[in-house]
Amino acid sequence: MNSTPIDFFPIVIQFFVAAGFVGITMFATHFIGPKLNTRKKLKPFESGVQSVGNARQPFAIKYFLTAILFVLFDVEVIFLYPYAVNFLELGMSGLITMLLFMGLLLCGLIYVIRSGALDWE
Amino acid sequence: MNVVIALTITGILNLFGSIFSYRKITPLLSIIGLTTAIVFNSMYWNTNQSFFNHMMVVDNYAVAFGTVCMVLAACLIIFYNRFMGDNDHHLPEVLSVIVLSVDGAIVMVSYTNLLMLFLGVEILSISFYILAGLKKKDLGSNEAAIKYFLMGAFSTGFLLLGITLIYGATASFDLSVISEYVKLNSTSTNYLLLSGVLLILVGLLFKVAAAPFHFWTPDVYQGAPTIITAFFATVGKIASFGAFYRLFQMCFSPIVNEWSGVIMVVAIITMFIGNITALQQKNLKRMFAYSSIAHAGYMLLALLSHDYLGGNAILFYSIAYGISSMSAFIIIHIIQTQTGTDEAMGFAGLVHKNKTLAMITAISMLSLSGIPLTAGFFGKFYLFSSAIESGYVLLVCLAVINSFIGIYYYFKPVIESYFKDSITDDVIKLKSVETILLIFLSIATILLGIFPGLVPAI
Amino acid sequence: MNTILSIVPIQYYIILSAILFSIGVMGVLTRSNAIIIFMSVEIMLNSVNLLLAAFSTYHNDAAGQIFVFFIMAVAAAEVAVGLAIIVMIYRNINTIDIYNLNKLKG
Repeated sequence: MNSTPIDFFPIVIQFFVAAGFVGITMFATHFIGPKLNTRKKLKPFESGVQSVGNARQPFAIKYFLTAILFVLFDVEVIFLYPYAVNFLELGMSGLITMLLFMGLLLCGLIYVIRSGALDWE
Repeated sequence: MNVVIALTITGILNLFGSIFSYRKITPLLSIIGLTTAIVFNSMYWNTNQSFFNHMMVVDNYAVAFGTVCMVLAACLIIFYNRFMGDNDHHLPEVLSVIVLSVDGAIVMVSYTNLLMLFLGVEILSISFYILAGLKKKDLGSNEAAIKYFLMGAFSTGFLLLGITLIYGATASFDLSVISEYVKLNSTSTNYLLLSGVLLILVGLLFKVAAAPFHFWTPDVYQGAPTIITAFFATVGKIASFGAFYRLFQMCFSPIVNEWSGVIMVVAIITMFIGNITALQQKNLKRMFAYSSIAHAGYMLLALLSHDYLGGNAILFYSIAYGISSMSAFIIIHIIQTQTGTDEAMGFAGLVHKNKTLAMITAISMLSLSGIPLTAGFFGKFYLFSSAIESGYVLLVCLAVINSFIGIYYYFKPVIESYFKDSITDDVIKLKSVETILLIFLSIATILLGIFPGLVPAI
Repeated sequence: MNTILSIVPIQYYIILSAILFSIGVMGVLTRSNAIIIFMSVEIMLNSVNLLLAAFSTYHNDAAGQIFVFFIMAVAAAEVAVGLAIIVMIYRNINTIDIYNLNKLKG
């Protein structure tokens, strides 16, 4: 296998795109976002945990439930990738299959919402 | 395929039972769904259709095992409703999990692709982890759930590595392609394939609770709610054996000499550990857990037979074991709710409390120990004769010795209920539907013991 | 894609997966924290995923990669059930050390 440095050029481009995306979003949020400098806002953000003090405090169970539900529904997205790649070849039967799959997921979502698992209070 | 679709729809409808407030009718709904699925399933008899791009094929083997699993699950739901119905807050969800786990059992007995084997095993197992921990406040149930979960996930890893190595050797997950490959290369030693077979063997032996992979079984069976234990011991074990036999008979029979030694040793260890440890148990659920390990040892003999005889033998044994085991666990549950103990002395004086129940206890114990004129006898007879025909005479001798050891502990509850005096004289009352169901199970046990031809050949 | 396999032969992938799998097995056998045991199980599953992807490229067959998807989806379901069980135990006994779970014995 003989690879020349030019073969790695796409990787370099992707590196710059990634770095640029991070930079641009950081700058953009800085300029676009509203400025409300309250005492709580100026603290470092720790996803709802007190930023100073003992780190080994128990989490509220509602974080756990939301996180688990997110993982469950999030992972199902991987089945959409092969479908997206073969969208045209699979045609109508593929569409029906995928709709059925999403319908089953929707049943789960309806159950989650109606049983109150996502209620915060 | 209609059976899977019917079961899935039933499961989803049950799930919505509590949020759209029709929880009262969910037991009825599950029974109707399971009955529909059984009817659909029996319509596939002798058709040999293949479904989902050759992912599953519904041959007679799949129909027979699927029907057994669904009938047992239907019995379980009738009793679950009786025992938990009034005070169980999550009844619709539990029924939904039970019905969906039967879905997994159906996939496990009709797969023709290793992907479906994995999915079936996981659908069944994940449902079982939930069911084992149903009593949230009970420490025993918690312990059973975590032990079952960690051990089950661990064994799934082995199963998956085995599947992957077989894929590496054969470049396919399809059972027919794999069996072609194995047939062509049966003379040369392919280490990738052999280690794959061995690892799949480990994963499946975990699932059927064969020694030395049996350590989770007694704890899980003891800790889980009794009615759920009945489900593990019957549907779980039968579906796992259905998957086990299907894979090894369809794919790996040409290289039987490579793995028969492993199965032989495991079968011998399993029978002896199961039976001898069961002798020392005071807790009945634990005793039955060890006895179910011993039964797994007998059923492993069927894997060694070279021809279709093994399939028939394992089917008959599954039916006999499933029926008797189901009624035994249900009786333990009835006694447990009545007297508060799940030890053998809870059976003391049962004959004075309820004559039918004592009778049914006796019949199911006779069947489990393999006494003639019960289904268990012919189950053992078919298993042992299929093993003898394949030339494993010594193994069968050891199995017969083990059956005799088994008689001792199976008679403990019978002796307690007929010859001991009870502490209290409360009469145990049952609803008529439950009595009818228990009597039906006993009649089935005796009928199959007199006319074993009632089970069709597959 | 086969150019990658010509640089790194398939045996290397098998050895790497075997090592990862063994690390997972050792973790399950030696650790006592339920979550760490569970993480070790996930290492086992991910080593299998790696090997499946490698074999899939080796055989020029996409089925292996689809299998990886299914393993990931099922593993997510298993995580949900497993963590729920662990939380349930933590609420009852305030620890997730499995050596404290010794109530059932015969």
